[in-house]
Amino acid sequence: MNTILNEKKEFPMLEAVNLTKKYEDGLLALDDVNFKVHQGEIYAMLGGNGAGKTTTINIFLNLIEPTSGETKINGIVTHQQPLEAKKHVSFVSENVMLYPEFTALQNLDFFTRLGGKTNLTKDDYRQVLLRVGLQEDAHSKKLKGFSKGMRQKCGIAIAILKNSPTILLDEPTSGLDPKAGLEFMTLLDELRDEGKSILMSTHDIFRAKEIANTIGIMNNGKLVMQRSKAELENADLEKLYVEYMAGYMEEVA
Amino acid sequence: MLSLLIKKELKEIIGSSKFVYSFAVSALLILITFYVGAKNYQINKSQYDAAVAENIRSMSGVTDWRMINHKIFLPPLPLASLVSGISNDVGRNIGMQGRGELIAKDSKYNEEPIFAVFRFLDLNFLFQIILSLFAILFCYNAVNGEKERGTLRLVFSNAIPRDTFILGKVLGSTIALILPLLVPMLIGFLLLLVLGVPMSFEDWMKLFLIIVTGFLLFSVFINLSVFVSIITKNSATSFLLLLVTWIFFVLVIPKTSVLIAGRAVNVPLIDELNTKKNQFSMQLNREHFNSLSGFKPANKDNFMQEFQQFMEKNNQAREEKTKSFNEKLNRERINRQEVQHAVALNLARISPSASFSLAASSFAGTSLNLVSNYREQADNYQKQFAKFQQEKTGMTSGGGGMMFVIRTDGDKKPPEINPAELPKFEFKPASFSASLGSGLIDIGLLFVFNIIFFAAAYLRFLKFDLR
Repeated sequence: MNTILNEKKEFPMLEAVNLTKKYEDGLLALDDVNFKVHQGEIYAMLGGNGAGKTTTINIFLNLIEPTSGETKINGIVTHQQPLEAKKHVSFVSENVMLYPEFTALQNLDFFTRLGGKTNLTKDDYRQVLLRVGLQEDAHSKKLKGFSKGMRQKCGIAIAILKNSPTILLDEPTSGLDPKAGLEFMTLLDELRDEGKSILMSTHDIFRAKEIANTIGIMNNGKLVMQRSKAELENADLEKLYVEYMAGYMEEVA
Repeated sequence: MLSLLIKKELKEIIGSSKFVYSFAVSALLILITFYVGAKNYQINKSQYDAAVAENIRSMSGVTDWRMINHKIFLPPLPLASLVSGISNDVGRNIGMQGRGELIAKDSKYNEEPIFAVFRFLDLNFLFQIILSLFAILFCYNAVNGEKERGTLRLVFSNAIPRDTFILGKVLGSTIALILPLLVPMLIGFLLLLVLGVPMSFEDWMKLFLIIVTGFLLFSVFINLSVFVSIITKNSATSFLLLLVTWIFFVLVIPKTSVLIAGRAVNVPLIDELNTKKNQFSMQLNREHFNSLSGFKPANKDNFMQEFQQFMEKNNQAREEKTKSFNEKLNRERINRQEVQHAVALNLARISPSASFSLAASSFAGTSLNLVSNYREQADNYQKQFAKFQQEKTGMTSGGGGMMFVIRTDGDKKPPEINPAELPKFEFKPASFSASLGSGLIDIGLLFVFNIIFFAAAYLRFLKFDLR
């Protein structure tokens, strides 16, 4: 399953272009957001609650349509060709619930088939579950007895099995214990090495700095800061974050 | 993709512990319904056989066909034990005379009122109450539950068209809930055979239609539940809304329809009619007695015979007048009643539960048509019986007239009558085509309810906020 994408794509695998979302009640959730995630890169979106991180991911998944601008997955505009675009993306949410009456294997089987992979066997599922750190004795147990960390592992296993070139993660480490969080980050590192492009929204400044190639800070629907890992090498990200969130500083992304 | 979604619904529903418990209760109730139905049929049949035998026995030793106390009986219908309808409210026997108005007496509930308190467990109760709740219990959170769980976002992060998802949801839930229930239904069919309920081919066809109609009602509640789960934000609200809707469909609308129809269409009370009939009868009696003074025998030696002929002629004339008057009153009442019934039933048909109930009782032969059907066949039998009496005695009994019997055989005892000679009353339930005809409108309505709720769910889901 460890498919490494050999051909480096020149164009960004995930892209937000002048992305704006205004809800019917007048709330401006996203205001002209632009960013790119290239192949083999992790982009971390930092920001407080209501900053617009989840809205951005929802537009990538075509769960809502942008008011203006667009998002692209593998060059495909998501709101124009949503079904085609979704073939190239996997998604792991903040709180992976899956189907509580299904076992881990049954959940994997359903979502993998839903993702278009119909030729995988139970052994393939087991291998991936072991890879993400889910003990073998849990594979055939119903999800309703799983902890959040275990469910999260199932969620990332589903994303791995779909084997799409891009992955969207909506606060994936939220609520995980430190060990589980570290394991999760190690796994993301591996996926990036395999050539996956990952867009991750998170509150976790330290993990973001540790793993991301690029970090963007969002505040009130705006991407107020965007720096590469190299640019942040000697910077105090926590201080920057607080300042940007407080509105002391703003730069055009 | 659709089959994958259907299979997922099947697995999710059937694999849940909620399903195991609910199915066990439903299956048990289905089996009890068939078992109790079959046993009730046996009891009713033996009571019917005993009543028929007693009727014959009561004629032993009787030497005059005009003196018999003959009754006809409504036989138990095999399907009435499964969908009782109004069968337990209809008088099961009619005292038969050559003329006069026929009145059905001794209904099951009249004789055994305890059964009227809680009524019988039957397929009508099962589909209307138990299985409709069963459908709600499993589908009230079909869509908003997935949203609450977060699975909806995950599902739609894949290339799934919305219409395929909602179609899979409805079809999967319907198949998952209906297929397992077929098993206890089939065992119930076997119970009918094993317990010796004499089901004709037509009865089986009718029972099949009842089950199909029941599942149509079941799928109405599935579609309705899916629709409500789309238009409400959380599963607790959808459950509450569905319960309120269920109460309206099952309890409020049918009962209110009857009340409204009762207010809107005035039907003369049966007591009013009886008073008018009695007054008319008394008037005829007076005329009849007055006419006696006009009797003058042509031959005094043949006085009694001439008098008997005179009385018979008078009785017949009076009977015709009485019959004509009563028929007019009855017809007027029946016409008003038919209007009242039409208003009540058409109003009740706003509810799919009422539509099911009407269709099921039509197929079982226990709808309101049972009364008219029974009355019509009893009237026809009365004509046969009157003709038989005429042939045997030259006279017909009943109608309130006086009858003089002349014995010309001295002390010699006349031969006893042979009850086997009596024409047989064989009640014929409505044919399959007639039942289908009267139940067709309700089956059609159930289809319409399904289409409306599914279309509403489908269209609303296309605009559903998946976040």
